[in-house]
Amino acid sequence: MKKKCIAMLLAGGQGSRLYALTQQVAKPSVPFGGKYRIIDFPLSNCANSGIDTVGVLTQYKPMKLNSYIGNGQPWDLDTSTGGAYILPPYLGAGEKGSWFRGTANAIYQNINFIDEYDPENVLILSGDHIYKMDYADMLKEHLEKDAACTIAVLQVSMEEATRFGIMNLGENGYVCEFEEKPKQPKSDLASMGIYIFNWEKLRRYLIDDENDPNSSNDFGKNIIPAMLNAGEKLWPYRFKGYWRDVGTITSLWDANMDLLTPETLSLYDSSWPISSRNDTVPPHYVGENAEIIYSIVTEGCDIDGRIENSVLSSAVTVEKGANVLYSVLMPGVTVKAGATVQYAIVGENTVISENAVVGNPPDGSENWGVATCGPEICIKEGARIPAGAMVYTGEEEF
Amino acid sequence: MTDAKGIIFAYSASPDLGDLVKQRTAASLPFAGRYRMIDFSLSSMMNAGIYDVGVIMQRDYQSLLDHLGSGKAWDMDRKSHGLRILPPFGLPEFHHGNYSGTIEALSAVITYIEESRQNYVVLMLGSLCANVDLTAALKQHIASGVEITAICTEKNISSQHYKYVCGEDGLISEIRYSGDAEGLTAMECYIVNKKFLVDMVRNAMVMNQFRFHKEALDGFFKKGGKMGVYMHEGYVSFIRTIDEYYNANKDLLKPENRRTLFPKDRPVKTKNNEITSTLYGEGADCRNSLIADNCWINGSVENSIIFPGVTVSAGAKIKNSILMRACSVEEGVELNCVIADKNVQFSEDVTLVGSDRLPIVVPKGTVI
Repeated sequence: MKKKCIAMLLAGGQGSRLYALTQQVAKPSVPFGGKYRIIDFPLSNCANSGIDTVGVLTQYKPMKLNSYIGNGQPWDLDTSTGGAYILPPYLGAGEKGSWFRGTANAIYQNINFIDEYDPENVLILSGDHIYKMDYADMLKEHLEKDAACTIAVLQVSMEEATRFGIMNLGENGYVCEFEEKPKQPKSDLASMGIYIFNWEKLRRYLIDDENDPNSSNDFGKNIIPAMLNAGEKLWPYRFKGYWRDVGTITSLWDANMDLLTPETLSLYDSSWPISSRNDTVPPHYVGENAEIIYSIVTEGCDIDGRIENSVLSSAVTVEKGANVLYSVLMPGVTVKAGATVQYAIVGENTVISENAVVGNPPDGSENWGVATCGPEICIKEGARIPAGAMVYTGEEEF
Repeated sequence: MTDAKGIIFAYSASPDLGDLVKQRTAASLPFAGRYRMIDFSLSSMMNAGIYDVGVIMQRDYQSLLDHLGSGKAWDMDRKSHGLRILPPFGLPEFHHGNYSGTIEALSAVITYIEESRQNYVVLMLGSLCANVDLTAALKQHIASGVEITAICTEKNISSQHYKYVCGEDGLISEIRYSGDAEGLTAMECYIVNKKFLVDMVRNAMVMNQFRFHKEALDGFFKKGGKMGVYMHEGYVSFIRTIDEYYNANKDLLKPENRRTLFPKDRPVKTKNNEITSTLYGEGADCRNSLIADNCWINGSVENSIIFPGVTVSAGAKIKNSILMRACSVEEGVELNCVIADKNVQFSEDVTLVGSDRLPIVVPKGTVI
């Protein structure tokens, strides 16, 4: 059945800068904001935009992601003609094994999948951004402008522009030049890594790119410049609103804290729901000794301590006399009596034992940072985890 | 595959629940901050691998149908032999009032039961609040060789309940119609051999005996019949009156009751539609309360049960109350011993105080 647009979601990222949190799972399956995982944002955006076919390209530690996405039911993607499909790297007869060599190669390797749907357009997404976006509106503009490729862009400050891929526009408003992390940016329009391509054209460029041994098979580095050189029409789609790349501990912590002020990014908006897969657990219980202010708390939690300015995922236990301040606790974390967790991110099912102290408030020094405890570990009684530390092997180191 | 079919009774009228069942049955009554009563019987069955389940309903079942959907939440959306909705069937021999008793309700669906593939049937009330380990109960029933096993509890529920007298052989040979009598409290949950059940229902109907306990079972015991007993450990309550509803909710503020009603290895499933967590504001002050997702809490909440989508504004004080889905509590409101049904709006500075013995029920959608 011919589709107007299908989505391909690049979810293979290792998330090396989130190391402690991504040792066992791919970055898109890192928990976020209480009930979600990062990948819920692009998946929900697809469903809300009326895109019912999503290929999810995985490679690094995909097991958790595979079971999380399943048939796409939590996002209403389990329709009879669409669906969410996990696409791992695979081998043809006699081929040598390899991971996807770059973002463009990942799509190239799945040309057969895309051809199956015979789409007019393909939306390329990445699995590590927090934002709400109507791809249908972007597609509309893409078609109106008769573009070969439409690139979502965000206006950033000129200082920030040096960290992004920057689009320079010609007089007609189309993109005339693409610069990756320019030292002297000529424009403040940063690429968000979200593209809609005319599939017939992209298919041709992907094959050409694959035949070029010097190419690094990347959309930003190779495909976009090749299209510009060939004189194709590339249109910038200006996105206004909240958008965060959560590739680092600091940005992941910041984006979680942003949820405490719903004016910044509201997840309570029923017209654009961000959905997720969750176990059914009872409502959270707030005990006699609990004090909770300015925080997000999720079902299944059992709170008897003090929680301030924090984001708690489901089934978190905070015992009497424990303090959780300016922190992000992922599902199943236990903070024992008398322990303090401050300015920290704690991974799934980790136990912070009695009287341990994780993290420190900002002290103005350059070395200060958010402390991180990886998943499934135990921080021993009375341990001190300094600001900015990343712990992932468990108590023996501390 | 489990050799048992489930039948859930969701037809009872429960007039003592007053306004709470004005537009729904007791089985679809919201409970414990996010569930409906029927979730407990459905989940007990699901956790024992019983997916072939018929729900008998008779009137006011719109909210129940909405909740059940295809049965997906309990993995009962099967290609065949999954959840089966059993509304009244328009045969002239059934009068159009309420079923006169469990036997009549069963006789209305007797072919459905008779034609099932399984040899055993589990009978449960849709308003029973208990997480029953039916795997263990079924195993015991099959091993014991009796025709019928009653699930019982040591707990005294109320004077309206049946008690069973257990002999030295560990079998029940007598039923007593007062909850104050000595004996084991009946949870009105049974495991029955299918053939025995079908015969029992047919024979009773011939004699115009519509009631399961007072007529059919009584006759069975009088003829010397014996019934097995399986003791349910853990929390149990019946929801038949406003008082029982109020107290059962408050029971769940005790960790021990939550532990046995929601054991990790036998989860209670429900239609899951919460998309986001609860946000506490700077004015929040919560104690000893159960609070569901998707709420916004900026006032004080104590000894209360709060359903999803409730907003509590700054300076509001809520004590000993149950607020169902999407209630809104504006600034300065004080509530004590109030049960607010869905979508109730308490405007600024409203004070509403009931008593522990007589909580005030505010009907669905009321604006005060």
